[in-house]
Amino acid sequence: MKDIESLSNGRVRLSTGTLYGALRRLLEDEWIVRFEQDDTSREKQAYRLSAEGRRQLDAELDRMKQLTRAAASHLRASEA
Amino acid sequence: MRTYNALLRLYPRDYRAAFSSEMSRAFENAASERRHRGGLAYPWFLMTELSCLAIGAAGEWIAKLTTSSFIRGRALPDRLRMRPAGVAWESYYAGEFVPDDIAEVQQRIDANIARMVRAIATHDFATARKLDIEERRDREILRRLRAEHGLVD
Repeated sequence: MKDIESLSNGRVRLSTGTLYGALRRLLEDEWIVRFEQDDTSREKQAYRLSAEGRRQLDAELDRMKQLTRAAASHLRASEA
Repeated sequence: MRTYNALLRLYPRDYRAAFSSEMSRAFENAASERRHRGGLAYPWFLMTELSCLAIGAAGEWIAKLTTSSFIRGRALPDRLRMRPAGVAWESYYAGEFVPDDIAEVQQRIDANIARMVRAIATHDFATARKLDIEERRDREILRRLRAEHGLVD
């Protein structure tokens, strides 16, 4: 939760209900998997991206890049 | 915290078994951090947390009723899995139940780590090295025991 807040410069604040609902969906889709940390001093359950999750993330990043490229070129064209 | 736990009871049972202890811990950590920030941070946090929790419960019931049990089983525990007699359903499926032999090795590892930290702090590297070897051996035992109990992820 803290990571999300700091990554978004305080713009996104996830509640536990929202966060764990999202985790449940990601687990169901098998985009993330639970794993056990070697560091036993951390009592939190850890999750990591699965191979399928990584593929989905890459695809989503590509989609967002295309979207921003299209928006930037559209903006340039309208300003010219 | 009491209100939070009461609202958690609105969630489907399998969801609670998988996430309620994690959620309570995350809530406690976030709450203490917000309390330290002061001002309106804490009341605002409480208001959003509790309202999102109530809304989330409704969403989770809809998800439970509209998702096939096969797909749901990927994220949430199978309630038909055998559990030892006398162990509560919630604690077993939430992973809180730990067999005695595993708990014993885990305690030994934790104690060794604490002793290792103290040894390093006092520059007693010979002891630290010895404890490190013991800790590796215990981790191997722990891995084997977890596999024997079917607790491998």
